[in-house]
Amino acid sequence: MQLRDYIIRRLIVLPILLLGVSIIVFSLTRIAGSPVGVYLSHEMSAAEVLQIEQRFNLDKPLPVQYFYWLKGVFQGDFGWSGVASAPVADVFPAKFAATMELSITSAIVAVALGLWLGTYAGVRRNKMPDHITRIVAVSAASLPLFWFGILLLIVFWANLGWFPVGRSTNDIWESIAHPTGFYIIDSILAGSLTALLDALWHLVLPSITLGFGGVAIIARMMRSSLIEELQQDYVDAARAKGLPERLVLKRHAKRNALVPTVTVIGLTIAFLMQGAIAAEIIFRWPGLGRWMADAVVRGDQATIMTYVLFTSVLFLLANLVVDIIYAKLDPRVRLGD
Amino acid sequence: MTDASSPLRRPSLPRETALRVRMRRSGELAVKILSNPTTIFGFVIILLMLSMALFAPWLTTPNAPDPYQMPRDWGALRMPPGTPNHPLGTTNTGGDVLYGIIWGSRTSLQLSIIVVSVTVVIGTAIGSIAGMVGGKIDEILMRIVDVFLSIPELIFALAIAAILGPSFTNIILSLCLVFWVKYARIMRAQIILVKQNDYVDAARIMGDSRLNIYFRDILPNAATPVIVQATLDMGAIVLIGATLSFIGLAESGIAEWGVLVSEGQAGIASGRWWASTFPGLMIFLWALAFNLVGDGLRDALDPRTEGR
Amino acid sequence: MSMEMSDTKSARPVTPVTIASVRGLKVHFQSKAGRVHAVDGVDFDVRDGETLGLVGETGCGKSVTGRAFLRLLPVPPGILAGGSVMFRPQTTCPDCQGDGCERCDDSGRRPAPCPKCRGQGCTTCDQTGIESLDLLTISDARMRDIRGDRIAMIFQDPSKALNPTLTIGEQLGEVFLQHRHADLLAAAGIAEDQPGWQASALRRLASQQDRGTDRLLVKLSGAMRRKHRAIRQALDERIAAALSETQIPNPQRVMQSFPHELSGGMRQRVMIAQALACDPDLIIADEPTTALDVTVQARILDLVRQLQTSRGSSVIYISHDLSVVRHICDRVAVMYAGRVVEIGDVEQLFTNPRHPYTQGLLAAVPTTRTPRGQLAAIPGSVPELIDPGPSCRFADRCAKAHGPCASHDPALQPVSAGHDVACFLEHPITTASRARA
Repeated sequence: MQLRDYIIRRLIVLPILLLGVSIIVFSLTRIAGSPVGVYLSHEMSAAEVLQIEQRFNLDKPLPVQYFYWLKGVFQGDFGWSGVASAPVADVFPAKFAATMELSITSAIVAVALGLWLGTYAGVRRNKMPDHITRIVAVSAASLPLFWFGILLLIVFWANLGWFPVGRSTNDIWESIAHPTGFYIIDSILAGSLTALLDALWHLVLPSITLGFGGVAIIARMMRSSLIEELQQDYVDAARAKGLPERLVLKRHAKRNALVPTVTVIGLTIAFLMQGAIAAEIIFRWPGLGRWMADAVVRGDQATIMTYVLFTSVLFLLANLVVDIIYAKLDPRVRLGD
Repeated sequence: MTDASSPLRRPSLPRETALRVRMRRSGELAVKILSNPTTIFGFVIILLMLSMALFAPWLTTPNAPDPYQMPRDWGALRMPPGTPNHPLGTTNTGGDVLYGIIWGSRTSLQLSIIVVSVTVVIGTAIGSIAGMVGGKIDEILMRIVDVFLSIPELIFALAIAAILGPSFTNIILSLCLVFWVKYARIMRAQIILVKQNDYVDAARIMGDSRLNIYFRDILPNAATPVIVQATLDMGAIVLIGATLSFIGLAESGIAEWGVLVSEGQAGIASGRWWASTFPGLMIFLWALAFNLVGDGLRDALDPRTEGR
Repeated sequence: MSMEMSDTKSARPVTPVTIASVRGLKVHFQSKAGRVHAVDGVDFDVRDGETLGLVGETGCGKSVTGRAFLRLLPVPPGILAGGSVMFRPQTTCPDCQGDGCERCDDSGRRPAPCPKCRGQGCTTCDQTGIESLDLLTISDARMRDIRGDRIAMIFQDPSKALNPTLTIGEQLGEVFLQHRHADLLAAAGIAEDQPGWQASALRRLASQQDRGTDRLLVKLSGAMRRKHRAIRQALDERIAAALSETQIPNPQRVMQSFPHELSGGMRQRVMIAQALACDPDLIIADEPTTALDVTVQARILDLVRQLQTSRGSSVIYISHDLSVVRHICDRVAVMYAGRVVEIGDVEQLFTNPRHPYTQGLLAAVPTTRTPRGQLAAIPGSVPELIDPGPSCRFADRCAKAHGPCASHDPALQPVSAGHDVACFLEHPITTASRARA
């Protein structure tokens, strides 16, 4: 199968899965009862309530309600967020940018550091650096992200005062325009070095917190698959051709070891999305995660639904990208499922 | 058990020998598992945690009427570690951190045991049906699994718990609803793999019933990855459950590690590091212990992964 | 491939020049239980142009011996515990430029002269004037020059020895890029000493030493792109030629394929093409047909034989299959438990085996005359090779074992011209055998 056909086939499955997710999300909210409560107050009469129900089609059978809800979603109507006191769609973009900025930075940290560490340990199997990497990796996989963040805060914010919390220093944030909502990009567009440094400075602790677990997962997988690859016949065959060790490692062992590692990178993306909630609470990061946390505590259904739907879209897209990379790295995958 | 009319079917002698072989094997397995120092380290932590949970009423005076609620010492708010009667300090609301840690081990044990046993049973059942029956039923079940897997598990559990209403019971319920999927998938894959073995065909040719084949030939040989995953999940579920309660899904005031970390968070700006640090350390040790044992188990059961 | 060719064995008379000689080779492996003496004092010569069979049971050390030629042993746990593997590389005959003349015995190749005395004879080369390298001690860089160029290896299972994620062309190309980049550059019109950063960048690309910037340069500059394309084209031509030499139909298509898209026989042809790409002096073939279908085996064997004869390369053919060895080899060395127990010309050894182990092996090969149900087997199994004491390794399984067998180590000694055996039935205990223990 050609890579193109593979991608097309995967793209066809995507909306079907999303439809399934939307049904689950919708049914969940209806289990908790009618969302009409958001629009009600104590003084309303039964007639008034009915009127509101009719206005939002809440008097219709559930499948019809689902249809109206889905129609709304396609038209960009995600409902009213009680937490933000505004339509979900209005609040969403700015928070999304904040979360993405943090997640992408953490993902880069996790992938780059994880691959490097895994390779470093795998090549030096059973030597000191390898043992240390293994211990760090197992520990990191067991580390509660929110606790790790708090420890970093205790040391570097409360005691040493090296790093700030929040997303920006207020004055600097207000001194530049924010066309994209990504602080780093905005500051580059505005040509402000102060703003750029401010953005990066605020990113350090949260992205370490969020990226650390990913580093461990990726490093662990890279290490074990590299060790497995190094025992393959074709690695010896490459040596028998007279290739220098550098090329044997790069072209034959490392490239192939990346194949299973890439699937773990897909898992890491879920890890990042989940972790973002706790990380945003701890570092007072004004993103989707903190919004979701508020919504969860206060039962803001529209926000919860949007968030779940949205993370699933992101998660599925990210996995699609991962699978494409996977298929590109390993031609055998394309043969069939 | 032995059918006298057909001596070929399940003769009793080889079965006994098989049992003895299995017992000898499990002895060897135990030695193999315990030969790894990190696994022993994990076991020791687990044992300490379990005895802490077991002896909680003797280690501290249980709070009346509900021992799972933090006792409040209104005369000793925000005390640092080393304070008399409060060796690990107190929280903003005068809760004893040590009390929270000890009774929190019971909360965590409840959480992980309930969730793991429920999800393993549900997941194994659904995965087995899909793998054994195959065809349309398999297709439908696996599409449902695919949809469940499209939502990151913590976010899914968070949404369910939020909609059910914030409480520790609902955290347990939501985790049960989310985590079975993983086992269903592992079990199905394993069963399809084991089904290809010749001894399964042999049993079928000998006329064994499908249920018999499943329980005697397939399930025991397909269970290994589920056991390993369950061990790892004993740790992972406490980690996720604590995250959910940290976010605010458990009742405040409950003796639960995630809640304690969350409550302690407010004090760190004023230098009160202890109220978050100690309960968080417990979550870490708990997850670490089960991760180490799970890894050791996997290495012992699947020699291919040894030394990784 | 005609039948005569495979039946007549070497078309060219075997000249008694040795191209490689193994002396006292010891390879041990450190395990938890102790030191495994996988190869424990192996001696043999490989003559120029011959096919030497290395036969024995699984675990007798034949593969390890073969791999020692390329130093492809996992160290640790492997330990090169002693001995030497001397190798005399060949070059194109300077008198006839490879066309064949009297001085090179029509082979077109002659041993490379000793670099120290330029063939005059000195102490380094023992007055022979011929370059001789100990493959166990030369530098890694020198070893890499020899691997794939002067000594090549054909692996047992082509589906494992080909990288599944690279195309056949990419994998075969590596050999040429590594050892023949000068030819490729010349074909693209770049002189070896041509100055300028463009030429240097292209040289780095052709010899697989490119930096990230070199590829960028090629993308940016039109002139460099043309030159680079010329190099790629020269490379592709060589790859296609190498593939078609192993009778692969449609080499252009095969080059673009991934290993899993080819059949097992095709894959092994690719491996052979890869091994023969640089006209090596010595080919180590480690059970090259074991992983293949029986029908394909014969054709692959004929192919190896044919290519080897036409090029005059020497082959060490590692196998446990005696019928294959008889069919393809000029001489045979029988290995048992890390030792060579018998070595000799193939006919002599097969018609008149002297070592009880060889006799047992030959008796175990079923022929059309073997009555049904009477397959012979050697009783017992290969001994564990952890810290063995001084005794004949075969003594426990040998029906003819007597006094000295349990207390002394036999050494290889001639029984007739070109036929050596290590057995106390043939030789009395000598000082040599005691010294080895």
